[in-house]
Amino acid sequence: MAEMEVKESSKKGPGVKKSKKHSTRVDLTPMVDLGFLLITFFIFTTTVSQATAMDLNMPKDTKDPKLDMKVKESGSLTLLLGKGNVIYYYFKNDPATMQTTTYKDVRDVILKKKASTPATDLFIIIKPDKDATYENAVNMLDEMKIDDISRYAMVDPSPDEYSKIEQTEAAAGIK
Amino acid sequence: MARAKIKRGSTSVDMTPMCDVAFLLLTFFILAAQFKPASAVPINPPSSVSQKVAPQKNFLNVSIDKNNKVYLYMSQELKAPVLEELGKERNITFTPQEIKDFEQAAYIGTPISQLTQFDKLTPEQIKATIIPGIPVDSANNELTSWISATITVRMGEPLNYLIKGDDASKYSTFENVIDAFKKNDVYKYNLITNAKDVPQGSELYKRSLEEQKEGKKGGE
Repeated sequence: MAEMEVKESSKKGPGVKKSKKHSTRVDLTPMVDLGFLLITFFIFTTTVSQATAMDLNMPKDTKDPKLDMKVKESGSLTLLLGKGNVIYYYFKNDPATMQTTTYKDVRDVILKKKASTPATDLFIIIKPDKDATYENAVNMLDEMKIDDISRYAMVDPSPDEYSKIEQTEAAAGIK
Repeated sequence: MARAKIKRGSTSVDMTPMCDVAFLLLTFFILAAQFKPASAVPINPPSSVSQKVAPQKNFLNVSIDKNNKVYLYMSQELKAPVLEELGKERNITFTPQEIKDFEQAAYIGTPISQLTQFDKLTPEQIKATIIPGIPVDSANNELTSWISATITVRMGEPLNYLIKGDDASKYSTFENVIDAFKKNDVYKYNLITNAKDVPQGSELYKRSLEEQKEGKKGGE
């Protein structure tokens, strides 16, 4: 330790007061504390702000019906994303049997369907209607990933389905 | 008898080297930190379980804000050539000053017809005006022209197409954006999202656990 040694000088006469020398050392502990606090802060803020990206591959639009993907009716589940974060769903090709669910409970619906259908037949059709938000669509795509569904498609709803949704919405009072 | 004197060491430690190290690290982290590019338009993207980090280079970013307005961000080096290419396609000649203004503008958020006058505005003036957004409806989808100009400039070099939508934006706007891409034969996009943890007990969670186990076995 480099303590400053204060030499007592004997040159001064007996009447001269000794001026007390203060140590030149400064306690650096608070400064170090502050330094490390800032370091921790910067480390945390830099890692958190990394945005992630979700891959999305869209199919080419074709007019050729031969190229359309054939889906087994028994294996299909159609999810219609409506307004007010409500999902309408029906099995097979039967919009009349439409049921309602929410984003929290839709996983159960999908998993139930997945468990009861052979993996090769399972096909999920996502139809976001004009009032669905972007968040709804992304959440649904994410849900496909979470539930490990490999075959799904995003399609526009048919006019029939629109009117059905509108009726249900009017009945339920969703704005 | 004289007792053996035990020399007492000082308990105070010299903090100087530690302080040096601390501040060296601090400077390093401050300089190395990549701050979020201050986007002029606040957008709150949805969250997803995707772990992939968004590409930071060679990108074309289409942003949709909560009022369904579409903005376009592109890398700085692309700006001038893209504007010239767009001018060629649309038979508009831009003056060097206009190109310079365009390069300095943070983003494209207007119809092409209003582009030059909009680029002249200072950031303060932009805050005060209502930004119209790039038209993307099926009747007049100008985003298509922007994308095609960018593709021509890149001459087949790969480009990352980022779409950053706000939670509250309508799906129909997103669909229009996708349509603009599809018209240019682009079918692969990256949707910018916030990272979210995989829900416990879900299929994906189970699978990733299994993969981890297998990975460990393979490593042994």
